[in-house]
Amino acid sequence: MDLDALLEMSNQCIHSEPPVCMASCPVHMDVIAFVTEIEKGDFAKAYKVMEAKIPFSRLIGKICDHPCESHCVRKEVGGSIRISELEKTAIDLGYTSPKKPLLMPKNKGTVAVIGGGLSGCVAAIELDKKGYNVTIYEKTDRLGGSLWAYEGQDLESAIIEEELSVIAKKGITVWYNTEVTEANLQTYIEKYDALYLGTGAWSKAYAIHPETFQVNDTSLFIGGTLQTQNHSSIFSASSGKRAAVSIDRYITKTSMSASREREGVFETKLDYKIDTVQPIVEVAKTASVYSESEVQEEASRCLKCQCDACIKACVHMQRFSITPDRYIRSINHNERIVLGNRSANLMINSCTECGLCKEVCPFGIGMKDIIHATRQSMVERGKMPISAHDFALKDMQFSHSDYFSLVRKQPSKEQSKNLFYYPVIAFSQYARGLYKGSGKTGYLFYPGCQLSSTHTDYIGAIYKYLVGVIKEKEADNDVGLYLGCCGAPADWAGRLDLMPESVEKIHKTWEEMGEPTFILACSSCASTFEKYLPMIKTISLWEVFATYGLPEVDIKKGKRELCIHDACATRHNAKIHESVRSIVKTLGYSVEELEYAKEKAKCCGYGGLVACANPEQAEDFVQDRAHESEHDVLVYCAMCKDMLVKGNKRAYHILDIIYGNEINPDAPQKMLTLSERQNNRKRLKQQLLKEIWNEEESDMSKTYDFTLHLSDAIIALMEKRFILLSDVEKVVEHSLTCKERFYNPETLDFLARLRVNNVTFWVKYEEHGSDITVKDVYSHRMEVVED
Amino acid sequence: METKTETTTTWMCDKCHKALVSQKVKVRYLEGNFEVELLKCPTCNMVFISEDLALGKILEVEKSLEDK
Repeated sequence: MDLDALLEMSNQCIHSEPPVCMASCPVHMDVIAFVTEIEKGDFAKAYKVMEAKIPFSRLIGKICDHPCESHCVRKEVGGSIRISELEKTAIDLGYTSPKKPLLMPKNKGTVAVIGGGLSGCVAAIELDKKGYNVTIYEKTDRLGGSLWAYEGQDLESAIIEEELSVIAKKGITVWYNTEVTEANLQTYIEKYDALYLGTGAWSKAYAIHPETFQVNDTSLFIGGTLQTQNHSSIFSASSGKRAAVSIDRYITKTSMSASREREGVFETKLDYKIDTVQPIVEVAKTASVYSESEVQEEASRCLKCQCDACIKACVHMQRFSITPDRYIRSINHNERIVLGNRSANLMINSCTECGLCKEVCPFGIGMKDIIHATRQSMVERGKMPISAHDFALKDMQFSHSDYFSLVRKQPSKEQSKNLFYYPVIAFSQYARGLYKGSGKTGYLFYPGCQLSSTHTDYIGAIYKYLVGVIKEKEADNDVGLYLGCCGAPADWAGRLDLMPESVEKIHKTWEEMGEPTFILACSSCASTFEKYLPMIKTISLWEVFATYGLPEVDIKKGKRELCIHDACATRHNAKIHESVRSIVKTLGYSVEELEYAKEKAKCCGYGGLVACANPEQAEDFVQDRAHESEHDVLVYCAMCKDMLVKGNKRAYHILDIIYGNEINPDAPQKMLTLSERQNNRKRLKQQLLKEIWNEEESDMSKTYDFTLHLSDAIIALMEKRFILLSDVEKVVEHSLTCKERFYNPETLDFLARLRVNNVTFWVKYEEHGSDITVKDVYSHRMEVVED
Repeated sequence: METKTETTTTWMCDKCHKALVSQKVKVRYLEGNFEVELLKCPTCNMVFISEDLALGKILEVEKSLEDK
């Protein structure tokens, strides 16, 4: 993994980019933090936020010419937030006298400040803080300069004096009634390490560096009105602060310009959109300043502009309260750590890799590819937690095994000749299709492992339908069948090493069959084929339905409104989106489009094997999706249906409405267990072989001499703990044959254990003859050495 | 792996008809090898692990080893 390139990408995330109010404030007051404290009614904290950035905040906060307000994003939707008015009230209600200043050793050098006005006082204080011995030369008998113009209006003289007294308290020397002019300036230049000129007016016009305020390469720095060329108090204060930074760098001989790009007013990359913002008008003042309640109400209008499009859209980022920039830094840390805990593992395995963040990001930053690369890297370095994906990968192995895996050409004419008689041949499109058998496989129906697990009984019917409609139009192209797993679980788990087992087999079959078009019924298969098997031409089953017409089944036309939950794996496949909508409408349903539809589809929580690695996170995804609409949901991915039903949302697979099984809308929808899913795959293969190819397969399932009794509670526990019925059977069988078990004389229960591969399963049961009633199941991965 | 587990139980070994005793037992997961006191049959050495132990301390240790 190229971690440096990754970190570069994190810098493009603008989540931490400041709002325009802060960027247009010459001293960068943290307006969002300020407004938030006011909303909470904590005026003391609000004042502290002002104080952190605004010099003499008790004074400037009352007279600031607020350049921020003219840039406020609220401007067009109810009027700019009156930040300047909020500041006035924050001072009145939240001012606390500052702590007694710490007297710092002043040994870094000597600086003369010419002019004790606002900018001069700011520069003096800043330089004093940095450890310089500062002397102010003021031509009048008081400090403050233009501040006194506000006396009696916005500022009280007592407060001006009190605030400026900090200069004396800090031990800064002030020479009053001492005018410095161009004529004697040189004397001061020679006497001090650096000079700050902030007199407002001066007889000679010096060329001032626009960023450093330095005059050529000399020790003279100019700020205040001489530099700003306006009468803004906040710009003046800012120039004093910035000049102090320059003087410090000049004296300490460090770079005058490094890392100063965003000093003063700058342009933020944040472009907050107001399309969906409801206008709220400015709160009117009932007195000269806002009252406590008025100020809170005005603050509440603030949009707190921040780019959070991805966070709003993604419950994963919400659960871990993380943004792409910090996420990437966590990954970087997790990847580089040598000793210690990889604390980001769970987070990395909780992303569904659905790609929505990239769709909503104004800069196109997406976590999907990053997470995928990270998981691969974790696997390669042996740092991927085994438990995260173990169950799903074992289930994939099951699909690859002879229990499910099956490839067949369309039954030959010879095989099917018993169908070719009246009336079958006249009324069955399927029989006619077989009759036209060409021996050349033009299409291969690939239903995928999950659809086969949960919608088992549709597969045979779909296959017959496909043979019928396709042979009717394309006599040359037979339709074959391929049961298997595309390898999506391995891809999600970052197990590149396991991909060939799926992909190479598919590729070989495709070649051997004469490069047929695959008919896919699963969105994850579609995405895996696109990624790993781009040479294979595919078409979705939904497109076939939309193109060739729906199967002739006795269906009642629905009148209900359904919301369509698009599959995230095919978010960019417009053909699928259109086909599905066309089918739904043909069947008489009306469609409610969700806010997050089509290319903005939200994941159901199955993606990325999150349901396996972090079930709680998967539940967040389901609930988020389920609550998007009141209506029942229509899906076209078997996993989506499973997840939604599990989350108690009524969901129909598109096959349910095509085959008229959207019956009894009040009956609870059943969720199949993990064991039932495996059994269904096994059963499907046997059924299809028998029904379509007339092949009888010996039943490979093991039979036992005992009968297991499992309550609903135990079944639920097995699901939660990823324990299969076959695991329980193996434990019980082993304990009965080897008598390796514990006995509890008080409860009369038995407790047995068996290690199956890398997991030890425990079963507590009651035995009555051959009846075994299971009372508890659990497992652990830690291996116990019994010797 | 430090652990405090049950030192007595009503469970007994069904094959040997012996009460279980608390003894040092070797356990291992990934790179971790530990010796812990667990209940076992003094005759056939079959080790008893309760649900609380499996889903508590053992799970915790497994997770922390996986994140190492």
